[in-house]
Amino acid sequence: MKLRNLFYLSVVLFFASCGDSESIVDSALKDQILLLGNGTEPQDLDPHTVTGVPEHKILLSLMEGLVTRHPEGKGSVPGVAERWVISEDGKEYTFYLNKKAKWSNGDSVTANDFVYSWKRILMPSMAALYADMLYVVKNAEAYNRGEIGDFTQVGVKAIDDFTLKVSLNNSTPYFLALLSHYSTWPVHKPTIEKFGEIDTRGTKWTRPENFVGNGPYLLAEWKLNDVIIVKKNPLYWNAGIVTIKEIRFYASDNDTTEDLRYRAGQLHLLNTVKITKIQSYKTKYPDQIHIDPYFGTYYYRINTKREHLKDKRFRQALSYAINRKEIVETITRGEQAPAFSFSPPDPANFYPSTKLEFNPSKSEELFKEMGYGVSKELPKLEILYNTSEGHQKLAEAVQSMWKEYLGLEVELVNVDWKTYLDREKNADFLISRAGWIGDYPDPNSFLDMMVTGRGNNKTSWSNLEYDNLIKKAASATSTNLRNSYFDKAEHILMDELPLIPIYTYTRVYLLHPSVKGYYPNILDTHPYQFLRLENTN
Amino acid sequence: MSELLQISSIWQDAIFRLKSNRLAVFGGVFIILLIILATLTPWIAPYDYAQQDRVLGPTPPSFQHLLGTDYLGRDLLTRLLYGSRISLLVGFIATTVALIIGVTWGTVAGYLGGSIDTWMMRIVDTLYGIPFIILIILLMVVFGRSLVLMFMAIGAVEWLTMARIVRAQVNSLKQREFVLAAKAMGVKETTIMTRHLIPNTLGPVIVYATLTVPQVMLLEAFLSFLGLGVQAPMSSWGLLIRDGAVSMEESWWLLVFPAVIFSTTLFSLNFLGDGLRDALDPRMGPN
Repeated sequence: MKLRNLFYLSVVLFFASCGDSESIVDSALKDQILLLGNGTEPQDLDPHTVTGVPEHKILLSLMEGLVTRHPEGKGSVPGVAERWVISEDGKEYTFYLNKKAKWSNGDSVTANDFVYSWKRILMPSMAALYADMLYVVKNAEAYNRGEIGDFTQVGVKAIDDFTLKVSLNNSTPYFLALLSHYSTWPVHKPTIEKFGEIDTRGTKWTRPENFVGNGPYLLAEWKLNDVIIVKKNPLYWNAGIVTIKEIRFYASDNDTTEDLRYRAGQLHLLNTVKITKIQSYKTKYPDQIHIDPYFGTYYYRINTKREHLKDKRFRQALSYAINRKEIVETITRGEQAPAFSFSPPDPANFYPSTKLEFNPSKSEELFKEMGYGVSKELPKLEILYNTSEGHQKLAEAVQSMWKEYLGLEVELVNVDWKTYLDREKNADFLISRAGWIGDYPDPNSFLDMMVTGRGNNKTSWSNLEYDNLIKKAASATSTNLRNSYFDKAEHILMDELPLIPIYTYTRVYLLHPSVKGYYPNILDTHPYQFLRLENTN
Repeated sequence: MSELLQISSIWQDAIFRLKSNRLAVFGGVFIILLIILATLTPWIAPYDYAQQDRVLGPTPPSFQHLLGTDYLGRDLLTRLLYGSRISLLVGFIATTVALIIGVTWGTVAGYLGGSIDTWMMRIVDTLYGIPFIILIILLMVVFGRSLVLMFMAIGAVEWLTMARIVRAQVNSLKQREFVLAAKAMGVKETTIMTRHLIPNTLGPVIVYATLTVPQVMLLEAFLSFLGLGVQAPMSSWGLLIRDGAVSMEESWWLLVFPAVIFSTTLFSLNFLGDGLRDALDPRMGPN
């Protein structure tokens, strides 16, 4: 114990020597600057090419779609569109754009900007990974696949400068929610075309000196691997409610760096809490640690084309031998729930009836049935994961469970983030760790991903019955019918197990008490115009 | 009369001098102890190195777990013992590899001289210029991660200094009478090298080898620290220190014990190396 106290003393002394008596978050309160830890350095800031969470957090300050998320997660509130009318059959949406909505160079945001932007993300030559978000729009899928070349056939039209009409394939209950995803946001045509063609990726238009956006903040500075600074946009249509003058997004690959920064009073938000620290922070910072429900699933993805793994019984055996309850209680320790389906259960919306048992004797039976240990030798497996303490600890636990219950030799292969993505993309793995966070609050955000040929499927798994069920769910007229299709699809998925769900995420973070209006919501979207920095006393 | 005539040999002198150097003796004893423990690990380790007690989790030192347990409830003492096997193995195998390449290269270059010597030493100079960490990482990426390869890779970059030391020794030795005599009698060149030159360079070689071992162990620790070393659930000291550093605030024991053992080993090897250098220096008297 003494040693530990000595250590804390030295940490305290270290921090005391680093800063003045006033910490950075205190002075930030006076200047109304929000300081956020933001994970990895963003790939880019083009809403039509990026795919990650860190990019989303930054773009949310710089751009705005037709609608935006309610700060408490209660549906959609007006964004660029001040109101909208939905047709009786739910297939036609008419958006009336706010005439006060401006680009940061003073131009009005018009309906044509949306037509242009949706064309951009759907162009086959753009090869946008998130193009399938708009597949619910009439003919969008055919256009994206190059089956039709004429964009006027796609269901998005500018009636006049401030009226946008969208036709969908089916009545889609989550369509509005989808519009607060950055892939549907507008880009400024003259700016895009000043630096390249409509479909040129990675041009200089996203540099601070060139960037034109329509969000509550303006891109002011971008220091690679360090910080992105955005400043209040006076031209934003709702600038009146924006009280925070500046936001700084700090990039760091290293959880420890961010952790130290937060505790030294340099950040308002600690984005990633290390799993070894959750326990101690619960007692040390009970007013700052937050564990919120999160719409995401942590799972192991299986390459179903490989020897042994292509047999579904083998995959089932692997699943039976994972003690999920023990994993969430002893490894992740962030109040996560063991997963029993791919789409996280949401009692209000969709509650899958699937089960994933922990039953080693069943997996033994399956192994015997397949002839392992009798006529066949046990294969050697590999778990691929990107370097992270949490992934490693979980992988070591699973490795030990499979060894104990199945006698399987499992090798752990840890690689950096980019190599990991490459190997997954090229199917150069046996089993890989994965996580999926829903883009909109609907099971479709998960289940559509496993349809044959989807970019994020990555398991080579394909099942026609499953594909049909997802298609049927899309055109289902009632919620009950829709959910029953999803449930059937989940049953197929949990029987075939091209992916083995492990737990349902929770969002664990530390937030400085001076940040107000940061409400928990399952998509973890917190539009900055609704946040405030206030004195806590 | 006969007592006066008894002259101690160089080696006896050396051992005497070494024995009177307390730090070196401490180092030697510690290393020997460590080697014994590492060898006996499978029989004396209290637990299995991969055995997890996840419900237990990280606990400070206790009677069940003398040095405590890590996040997955694995016994730290056991993992330290198994880690010592890896770290010592790396130390000794990589040093042996460096020794073989370095001594051969240096002897050949030094003895043959002329343009062969120039070329061989320029190659050494060039290799010196390459940042060797990158070289090792490249080798590991190309050949995949295997323990033996890692030993070889580290050894393959550590031989350069050895080659220079041996070459300098051989350069001066080859002018000496016994070598000239051997040449005059028509002894084959390879025999001259192996029988007459190499044994005479042994002093500095041994000293340098003991100093290479800690260097190599550090390198392994560094590679493991970067995640390029041994793979889980196997442990090495470098890996244990990395894991400990990550969670030092919650579980100090995970950092303190591996770090103390590792630094003590490095110190011991350095003391022993220094002691040997002094002891084998023929200019020093028996006292």
